[in-house]
Amino acid sequence: MKKKIISIKQKKLKKPLLKKRTRIDLEGQIRLLTNDLNTIKRQLKRGVNREKFANKKFRGEMIQGVDREQQGADREKEGADRERRGADREKLGAGREKLAIVKFREQTNQIEIRDGQLRQGADRERLGANREKLAEEQIYIRTKAIEATFDGIFIIDALKSNFPIIYANPSFYELTGFTKNEVIGKNYFLLYGDTENLKALDEIKIALQHGKPFQGEMQHYKKNGEKFWSLLRISLVRDKDWTVTHYVGNKTDTTLMKQRNLEIEVQREELLHVTRVGKLAEFVSSLAHEISQPLTAILSYAQAAERMYKGREPQLQEILQYIINDDQRAAEVIRRLRYLLKKSKPSIELLNINILIKDTITLMMPHITAKDKVIKFESDSKLPFIQGDKIQLQQVILNLISNSLEAMESNKDAHELLISTHLKDANMVMVEVKDSGCGIPKENMDKLFGHFFTNKPDGLGMGLSISRSIVEAHGGILEAKNNSDRGATFYFTLPVNKGNDQ
Amino acid sequence: MSSNIFIIDDDESVCRALKTLLKTYDFEVRTFNSAQNFFDTVAQDEPGCLLLDIHMPGLDGWETQKKILTSGSDRPVIFISAEKQDNAADRAVKVGAVGFLQKPVNAQTLVDLINSTAKNLPVIAS
Repeated sequence: MKKKIISIKQKKLKKPLLKKRTRIDLEGQIRLLTNDLNTIKRQLKRGVNREKFANKKFRGEMIQGVDREQQGADREKEGADRERRGADREKLGAGREKLAIVKFREQTNQIEIRDGQLRQGADRERLGANREKLAEEQIYIRTKAIEATFDGIFIIDALKSNFPIIYANPSFYELTGFTKNEVIGKNYFLLYGDTENLKALDEIKIALQHGKPFQGEMQHYKKNGEKFWSLLRISLVRDKDWTVTHYVGNKTDTTLMKQRNLEIEVQREELLHVTRVGKLAEFVSSLAHEISQPLTAILSYAQAAERMYKGREPQLQEILQYIINDDQRAAEVIRRLRYLLKKSKPSIELLNINILIKDTITLMMPHITAKDKVIKFESDSKLPFIQGDKIQLQQVILNLISNSLEAMESNKDAHELLISTHLKDANMVMVEVKDSGCGIPKENMDKLFGHFFTNKPDGLGMGLSISRSIVEAHGGILEAKNNSDRGATFYFTLPVNKGNDQ
Repeated sequence: MSSNIFIIDDDESVCRALKTLLKTYDFEVRTFNSAQNFFDTVAQDEPGCLLLDIHMPGLDGWETQKKILTSGSDRPVIFISAEKQDNAADRAVKVGAVGFLQKPVNAQTLVDLINSTAKNLPVIAS
């Protein structure tokens, strides 16, 4: 279209000024494209081509220093593609510096040349249209970007009293499990019902009421009740009067991060536990050594005196016997302590848990009969092998049996201790130690497996905590429960050996 | 019948107490606070059973036993230690000792073990 006009124009201007650089735009403006504005100025002032401008009543526009490329781009203006817009923008920028407007006013016979003026009329309109298109495209891209982002984004209308959600991106629906119908028009705070973290909601409300953005991490529930952690940030959108018109919420799923942090925390705890136990073992070992020396001396002295006064001084004999007994009791405490904290590399072997339990019972038998108790062992003879450290597992069983015996000690009617084994499922062997003792007070249930927790006068509070560590190191769990009638049951699982070498 | 007992232990009270105890069994007891002290005082061919502590400054129990063994002496050695070492009893026998006793030691156990050395029978107690 433009080329057509140009050709007509060029016919009209038989000897046009700077012929090849003249162009007519849509509004009939003549455009003089030149690298040398001053030459044109001079020509116009001298009257050269003046009539032609005057006759045609044209206003001119001169482009100073426009290079070929830009001209080329200029010519391609009609294309509606991005390139054109790009070139246009470039030219616009260039034009700001390089365009000059030449106005010839017939009435006053004046030539007006102004540098730095932008083109007018249709040009401006076209530019406006371009801007509109640009804006449309921007909106399109931004909308797509919001839809594509992994964060759940929602927009709340702050001008409506019920603060409805007016937009939510797909990630928001995915994150929360709600559908569009369940979200749009609803108040954000009502969205999760009463399962929501109420404290966090209050914090959000307070922040927003004070016109401040909110940021916080909280646990949410999906529509299906599934828990997830999210980092919620709410920012404010204001109009030119500084009125808050919208709230924009940005929800990031931090569940994985949180889980990883928790795992790290657990590992750190375990490490601390190991270190504590290790340090304690070292400490106990040197303490035991130091205490054993005087205990040796005391015992030897007492036994020497006992022999020296044999058959005489019955009161002294009695006292000496007490000294010997207490010395041996102290030695026994040290021996137990050492046994519990024994530092040895675990040696893993295939084990028949039933044999292990039988051996342990045999070991405990003198203890059991001395306390006038009966031990029953109901074993599932078809149990598969397990893999583990014999000494460590024996330590666990020993610990559970002696705990049970002590729990039954105060109860004269309680005689029976029942140990049973069975296959819990295809992967786990279950061992239960059931006593008929005093049971576990409810308030102690949680503390039972903690370090240094004991309700026995001479207890160390290490047995159950170490036992649990051992069972867990073997891939099982150690738990306790009160029986429905009386007493408590301690039970642990151990994974079935899946190797081929059974 | 009176036989010699030598005790090497860096703990003075332990030495004195064991000596007091063993004297009631009519043993001749001499105590030393270090292995070096023992080697300096007691001739290699002087008969007598040795009660040997393990954890000591200077030569420890294991080293002392090794020295006795390599010197060609057939002196019976009983380890007495406060240290509870895994397989210490096994190790004691392996290095040629008569036995290993965990402190604090029971008088009768100790005396039985000492008496067994006269018959040259290794008895392991722990």
